[in-house]
Amino acid sequence: MNQAEKEQYLREYSLLKNEGKPFFPYAVAKDSIMAVIVMATIMLLSLLFGAELGPKVNPTTTTYVPRPDWYFFFLFEILRVMRNVPKFTPMATIGIPTLCMIGLFLLPLYDRGPERLITRRPIALASGLATIACIAFLTYSGANTGSPNSVSLPAPPGLTAAQRATFYAGEIVVGESGCEGCHEIGSNGNNGPGPPLTHIGAKRAAAAIASTLKNPTAPMPSFANLAKTSPKKFAALVSFLSDLQ
Amino acid sequence: MPLPKLLNRPAPTTTQQSPNPVEAATEAGLTVVDWIDERTQISQGLRWMMFRKVPKGINWAYTLGSATMFAFLSQAVTGVFLAMYYRPSVTGGAYESIRNINDNVFLGQFVHGMHKWGASVMIILIFLHMARVFFFGAYKYPRELTWIIGVVLLILTLAMGFTGYLLPFDQRSYWATIVGVNINNTAPFLGPYIGDFLRGGPEFGATTLSRFYAIHMMLIPGLMAALIGFHLYLIMKLGISAPPWLKAHEPEPVIETVEV
Amino acid sequence: MTVGLGVHGASHIRIHKQMPQDRYSKSSKYTVDRGLPGAFEGETVTRRRFMEAVTHGAGGIAAAAFGLPALGFAIGPIFKRQPFDWQIIGTPADFNETSYVTKVITIVPGIGEAGKSIAYVRARNPQIDLEPHDQWNNYIALSSRCMHLGCPVRYVQAAERFICPCHGGVYNFRGEVAGGPPVRPLDRFYTYVPPVGHPGHGYVYLGPRYSVNSELRRFSPRDPGEPLDGIGQYLYPARFDTAVRPSIANLPLPPTVPGTGS
Repeated sequence: MNQAEKEQYLREYSLLKNEGKPFFPYAVAKDSIMAVIVMATIMLLSLLFGAELGPKVNPTTTTYVPRPDWYFFFLFEILRVMRNVPKFTPMATIGIPTLCMIGLFLLPLYDRGPERLITRRPIALASGLATIACIAFLTYSGANTGSPNSVSLPAPPGLTAAQRATFYAGEIVVGESGCEGCHEIGSNGNNGPGPPLTHIGAKRAAAAIASTLKNPTAPMPSFANLAKTSPKKFAALVSFLSDLQ
Repeated sequence: MPLPKLLNRPAPTTTQQSPNPVEAATEAGLTVVDWIDERTQISQGLRWMMFRKVPKGINWAYTLGSATMFAFLSQAVTGVFLAMYYRPSVTGGAYESIRNINDNVFLGQFVHGMHKWGASVMIILIFLHMARVFFFGAYKYPRELTWIIGVVLLILTLAMGFTGYLLPFDQRSYWATIVGVNINNTAPFLGPYIGDFLRGGPEFGATTLSRFYAIHMMLIPGLMAALIGFHLYLIMKLGISAPPWLKAHEPEPVIETVEV
Repeated sequence: MTVGLGVHGASHIRIHKQMPQDRYSKSSKYTVDRGLPGAFEGETVTRRRFMEAVTHGAGGIAAAAFGLPALGFAIGPIFKRQPFDWQIIGTPADFNETSYVTKVITIVPGIGEAGKSIAYVRARNPQIDLEPHDQWNNYIALSSRCMHLGCPVRYVQAAERFICPCHGGVYNFRGEVAGGPPVRPLDRFYTYVPPVGHPGHGYVYLGPRYSVNSELRRFSPRDPGEPLDGIGQYLYPARFDTAVRPSIANLPLPPTVPGTGS
């Protein structure tokens, strides 16, 4: 904005202000109603959901799955998205958030055009909407990230009771065996280094799955030991994976 | 110096009927207000604040800022009540005192829940407010500084969320704090020392909780209150921005006709 | 005040000896030349400037007196080294070469549960543990903190992998990164087995934590998320407060069981 544009704005603004109403009571009334709504929302949330307290601090846990509150889900998800490029871990943890904050902080210093109407500011409109979409998407997928220690897929329809029991037994074996460290199964587990297994049964026959488990290609570990020590668990694992259609 | 009105008034005559109690009470209240105002001249400031004009076209989106401030006040009040029962002790105290608030204190869980959910509400409101200011172009001249202070307030609010996390001292708070501190650690050169500062040592230790408590309860709220005050002052000084789609009616140009 | 006046006196003497040519210029350092009211011969520092300096100085000293101790109070712990003692985690018979045993250890003494952590311990296997062998790694003790951001990793025997529940870190049997965002292998603890005839013989001792880079070279303990390969070790320098390996001269001895002799 140059000097003329500044003066033009101030003049325009003072005219609009003169046409307006006094802050009290017109704006104050709206603010007060909004305050009541905010207060009522907070109280309602408190009454509905209370303040649950989890188990006490236990740094010696090996099973706890830490998850942040919803408003840090987007950050949590950025950290997961960047998981396959470990060289850029500091970028994900500190680089991106810091750059975003600096960008936000300096916004009025680099966006100095006189135009205020959003429909005439295409770059601002696009970047604003893109930011909102990004944060919404990251928050959503962060919220839907299951634990890598368990599977939460429903049994496919058309299984007998016995087959369903094997399916759920296999789920537990998958959770115990750490498959989801490297494979994605439904909303659980990590996508990579291994391929996703959500539909592995449709791609491979049970026998092929069993042989891959015993003689995998590196870096996947061999589960031949599991087949030897507890063949029942191994069978449940194979039948579970081949049921993932 | 003029005497207060009360002393200046002519002495009541005996013939006059004594006023009824309501009138007398109203009179007394007004007298107190007058007395204070005469010494502080606060009504001048209030008049400046309250009777300034807001531009036409102000809609409900403009209440988001004051709603955020209101959520902050709610957090401050509920926080004070929680602090009355909370013990920031690592060795059995923090978790138990929150359990006590939840289970035994009258309305304890309600106030705790208000504080917990108030944090979420405040963060939603602050983002909505920011979106409004962004899409209305309200951060532009002459309100650049107001925006910059607002971004600092956003960062401080997220920092409040982060430091408040640890205080209940359950599993979620502990691990979230470990992760959060380690995120700060990944800043090159300074990071490791920032982590040591936050924890008060190389590992999560005896003073970590009290550090977070002090930061959560005094350092950041104090800063936020000061910055909110400055933010408000700037809003009053510069005026609430007008909706960008409105155009002012140009006043009729006054043309003087000069007879020759 | 006395200091200020002393300066005035000295300059007074000097100006009488050597009179500058531009005595009457506006930019002269003498107040008389600049035509200031109340100026006297030889005065170079005006009273106003002198008072300003005194006020600023006093204010600065007051602010420092208030601020520096507070700052020191807050950042003091950064420079205080944490004590650490060897702790007994079991006897050699407790550990084998093919699987990890979980041991609860104390990281910060005196704060109860919150100061504890766990170590995954196994005996060194010369077939796979190719890093140099010394008295500190007869037993491999891995920290359970993920080296991405510090979440608690879980050891899965079936896959022989350590799996982090947070952002997808996976480590192999030796604790090296097998997938995901961790920037270096799992941290380790010094272990020590006193030789025959030395106090504490027959027990496995665990010392402080140390960090390793991808070649398993030892570094002083860093926090998670700090890479140690290449330029990483300079970007994330060692800290002043991490525990150092204590002397093995004063190993804490195991409590003697009554009836078994010393």
